[in-house]
Amino acid sequence: MREEFYKTPSSPIWWGALALAAIMPFMLSSYYVHILTLSLVYVALASSWNIVGGMAGQISLAHSLFIGVGAMLSSALLLKLGINMWLGLVISAAISGVLGAIIAWIDFRFQLGHLSFVLITLAFAEMGSIVVEGWDFLGGASGLLLPKDTGNFLAFQFGGGSGAFWMMLALAAICVLVNVAILNAPLGYYLRTIRDNEKAAQAIGVNILRYKIIAMVISAVLASVVGTAYVRYLTFADPYLLVSPVITIEIVLFATVGGLGRAYGPALGALLLVPLGEVLRGKLGSTLPGLHYFIYGIVVISVILVTPRGLLPLFERLWARWRNPQPVSK
Amino acid sequence: MSELYQALAQGLLIGSTYGLLALGMGLVYGVSGVVNFSHGDFISLGMFMCLALFSAFSLDPYVSVLITVPVMTAIGALVYIFLIRPMVGHQFLMVVQLTLGLSLVLQNGILMIFGGEPARTPSIVESKLVILGDVVLRVPHIIAFVVSFALAIGLYIMLRSTDFGRSIRAVHQNAHAASLMGINVGRVQVLTFALGIGILALAAALLLPGTPIQPTQGLRYTVITLLVVVLGGMTNFVGIMLGGLIIGIAEAFGTIYLDGPLGLLMPYIIFVAIMLFRPQGLTWSASR
Repeated sequence: MREEFYKTPSSPIWWGALALAAIMPFMLSSYYVHILTLSLVYVALASSWNIVGGMAGQISLAHSLFIGVGAMLSSALLLKLGINMWLGLVISAAISGVLGAIIAWIDFRFQLGHLSFVLITLAFAEMGSIVVEGWDFLGGASGLLLPKDTGNFLAFQFGGGSGAFWMMLALAAICVLVNVAILNAPLGYYLRTIRDNEKAAQAIGVNILRYKIIAMVISAVLASVVGTAYVRYLTFADPYLLVSPVITIEIVLFATVGGLGRAYGPALGALLLVPLGEVLRGKLGSTLPGLHYFIYGIVVISVILVTPRGLLPLFERLWARWRNPQPVSK
Repeated sequence: MSELYQALAQGLLIGSTYGLLALGMGLVYGVSGVVNFSHGDFISLGMFMCLALFSAFSLDPYVSVLITVPVMTAIGALVYIFLIRPMVGHQFLMVVQLTLGLSLVLQNGILMIFGGEPARTPSIVESKLVILGDVVLRVPHIIAFVVSFALAIGLYIMLRSTDFGRSIRAVHQNAHAASLMGINVGRVQVLTFALGIGILALAAALLLPGTPIQPTQGLRYTVITLLVVVLGGMTNFVGIMLGGLIIGIAEAFGTIYLDGPLGLLMPYIIFVAIMLFRPQGLTWSASR
């Protein structure tokens, strides 16, 4: 672990930003707190996806599986078997981790190229959604309705509203921090080597299988935990939202817009796009359903055409030019 | 026994159209190395254009293709020129993300115009049946089968023996050498992409009669098309048609013989198995 990592958790800016975020529920109306909570869900999800998709350069479209296991399985365990949701969270996270390890192993064992990896993970995601929609234990096509959130912390309840916001803030902060940690740890260097040139990485002795599995498991476990927390916030476990490959596509697009492989890139993308989408949906959702997705699509296409590496590098360049008006040499 | 014949026949008929959907994608991949993740949403677009033409002028989908094919071909050319060509030379995965963004735009553009309720576009042949012994076939499926194969054969002949077809194959084999031989590579790429989207307009009309459509269906068509293309070895013409038939039959067998989700999973299971053990696809040698 390099020193840069310890700078982040000890930096006043980081804690200041967190503290500022934490007092939001006292200052904003519940509608805006809801939008912020949703944004934090996607910050956490996009950051967890970034470990595999950004750092290791593997566009995994299977993350709806992990989110889905975290959301649907923990809900089903609570409702059908009466298992406490905290335990359900751990069980789902463990299963997601195993699924992630299997996918990473398949990728390595069968030497899938980038494209094949995208396709196989998409096929897994479709299979996952078909299984959940067809299996009554997991709620089937009609989903599962969780008991009312009474704020009982021991039953994984946070009292809705601001409680859920703080829970999500903590999760999002953890996910971003994990990103910072990995980027500054040897693992981050291995992953980026694998992304940039897998053969060369292997030649200099990087254990590709091991690091691919580690990255995928961390990413899957985080996504699953966020899935459980998200479904608790929503109260209704909707398979068409939580297990559909569309949620992965959203995450991938947020991460791409913000900046792939950067610690704060995916968070930036989610923080810009989710509020935009939610406000649009709130204002025009009844007259023009789908408008927010339409605009996401337009934003993504424009960002990719203008600055293919995402907005974060663009902002950094603009910042550098503003600080130092001379043309910056690379 | 009659169930077996029924499943086989149904699978073959549907599979031929899947093959046709996949040919467009395979051609584009071969010539420009682009995998279009908004493929299924272009199929949706074709279907909803037929629906619009039906509601406005009560045109039968089979007649609407006279309008939808040229329009979609033009859209395809514009999309390639303005969106995809600027990305050539960047990382391959950026094009994937770009087309995923395009898929959101198309899907939700359709949703905003037509609403989310499942819709049907009637056709005069929609409810006609042909009964051969124990096997009952729907006329739209038979039309789809005949047209798909005719078109596939037509494309094959075009690739084999016209100048445009030869230039497509030349760009596919070695774009650099092709450009040295005086082929306008950029033009071939635009035309192929436009052709691929144009084929989709036709395939959309073939799939439409009797099928309820909704804006969110695009992704599932994309996945099916991808399954077929990969099974067929990405660019192998015969392989792709074969892959279409296999996926079609797997789907028919799955829904007839197995209950519920397991049946729907059938094509995916077969796909993953083939991907893992024959990553180069079904064909044994590159015959192009």
